[in-house]
Amino acid sequence: MALTALICDDSLLARNQLKKSLPSAFDADIITASNGAEALTILRTREVGLVFLDLTMPELDGVGVLEAIKADAMDCLVIVVSADIQPEMQKRVMELGALAFVQKPATADKLADVMHKYGLI
Amino acid sequence: MTELHFTDVQRDCLQELVNVAMGQASDKLARYLGTFVHLQVPAIALVEAALLSQHFASRYQQQSATLVSLGFFGDQGLRGETIMLYQLTNVGVIAQLLGYSDDAVSEAEMLTDISSVLTTTFLSGLAEQLENSFSYAAPRILSSRDRDFADKLAYTAEQWQLALQVDIRYQLTDYSFNCDMILLIPGEAVLRLRQTLDNILADF
Amino acid sequence: MQLDWLLQPLLTQLNTGVLVLDAQYRVVFFNQFIARRADVDLAKVQGNLLEDVFADLPLAWLRRKLDSVLHLQVPAFSSWEQRQYIIKLAHLRPLSSDSQYMAQNCSMLPLTAPDGVSRYICLLIEDATDAYVYQQQLQQSVMQLEHANRTDGLTGVYNRRYWQQQLGYEIQRAERYQHPLSLLLFDLDKFKDLNDQYGHQGGDFVLIELSRLIGSLLRDTDLFGRYGGEEFGIILPDTGMTGALQVANRICDTVAQHKMLYNQQTLKATISIGVVSYFEQSVDELIQRADTALYCAKRQGRNRAVAYQPELEGYLKKVK
Repeated sequence: MALTALICDDSLLARNQLKKSLPSAFDADIITASNGAEALTILRTREVGLVFLDLTMPELDGVGVLEAIKADAMDCLVIVVSADIQPEMQKRVMELGALAFVQKPATADKLADVMHKYGLI
Repeated sequence: MTELHFTDVQRDCLQELVNVAMGQASDKLARYLGTFVHLQVPAIALVEAALLSQHFASRYQQQSATLVSLGFFGDQGLRGETIMLYQLTNVGVIAQLLGYSDDAVSEAEMLTDISSVLTTTFLSGLAEQLENSFSYAAPRILSSRDRDFADKLAYTAEQWQLALQVDIRYQLTDYSFNCDMILLIPGEAVLRLRQTLDNILADF
Repeated sequence: MQLDWLLQPLLTQLNTGVLVLDAQYRVVFFNQFIARRADVDLAKVQGNLLEDVFADLPLAWLRRKLDSVLHLQVPAFSSWEQRQYIIKLAHLRPLSSDSQYMAQNCSMLPLTAPDGVSRYICLLIEDATDAYVYQQQLQQSVMQLEHANRTDGLTGVYNRRYWQQQLGYEIQRAERYQHPLSLLLFDLDKFKDLNDQYGHQGGDFVLIELSRLIGSLLRDTDLFGRYGGEEFGIILPDTGMTGALQVANRICDTVAQHKMLYNQQTLKATISIGVVSYFEQSVDELIQRADTALYCAKRQGRNRAVAYQPELEGYLKKVK
């Protein structure tokens, strides 16, 4: 059975950009959410193996999502894809259990590198 | 003004490009200033230039405000002007932030310095997203300690057809100050910008 | 078409200073504009630190600017209006500018070498001396206008409008700080006779001469103005009635003893002074009372100072 991957970003462009840039070797069902609250609802109702998570979002931001995943001990991997690339922020999300940090815009090369590194492709 | 209208998809695209540019600017600033910059989703809005002064007059009603302008030029006819709006109560904070407490630097110089740092870091990031590059004119103070700044803003905005208003709140861990940034883009450059957005959208 | 050959002659003849620094702020290049105006030879100083090549740089300020260019990779700017010059360069208007050095607008731009790694900074320096000179001239004109606007053309003391405005301010100040304040109003005695005898030019001469003489007896903080015709006023801040009477008597005596030489003739003049001290009156009331005292001084035989007292009002009515 294919893995389900969730792309969570408030921007349609960013979601499309990411979807298009995913390595072709990555075999997964892709679903999307346009803010943190929506993402949590999905994560609590169905099994998601991997989340591509934006940080700066309305409703509930990426940090809030990471905190909830940690608090509920959900079994999913998170790759943060964000424009907010300050060292302090990178440190913070890694401490909250993110697997990796990808700087926006998420290009195919960057995604392939990270996913290869963690054995996702 | 229908011809300058942006579709929802174009707007979303521009918003995302602005987000990414903001992220890069914040990162540069954080490393340069040695402090964490809290990033908020910058609200962008396309407004008719004629309505700008009304909008900001109410926000800066109580205090006197300073306007600093900086012009930029890119390839393919993309050009415009940014206006930074500050409340003068922030001047002391800005001085501290830039490390200007040690020597005598005029208020005017501090304001043009911080404006050029904030706008050019953001704009060079935006240019990169648009696969363009900008050159900049030196910042100018349009008005300082001036009650009728709304008139000055109205006068400046008059020369432009459309304003892309980007409300940026620069909030820093150690220092806190707010300022507003307005991007003013002339009509024909708006058409160029829209074309560029369409090109980007076509790729995805 | 190959255009590389253009670069050298353009850089040489460019009417803008071009100065390139490496990431350690060592001088890599400057063009003829800078070489000639700073009288330095690139071959001799290439590779030296910026501050060792150009004397008296605003170093702390400049380093901060250059640091921001290097670290943020965005341009920085400096305007002559905020900092007149960065590098001491000669300009081509040595006579019309009061400054020895060129006023400068400067852009500092980040550059990356083709290797993609080596960072440089390019300083573009533009001559803003013309703008600087115009601004100086404008400032001077404004100052002259301001001076003319408050001065009496003939005597050089304050004119009535400005003097009376100052009286209003002094009253507010006296009120706020509970300081004493006095006012002298004086008039040349028999000025009409002087004019008849020596002509208007003779009368003007006396007004000018006495204004100068009386001015020399006053403190810097006293405000001396021409109220109209041959009538003058002096505001004495921080001075009560006793002090004001002393000043008035001294002025009276000095004027009476002063000999003026006009067209080989010796002239003498006397003045009468009304003295009043401030006690919660308005500007108009204060002047009115000084005028009453002055009138009494005239009635009492001229060449004297009379202090205002309420009883004088009755005296005034009687003689009227």
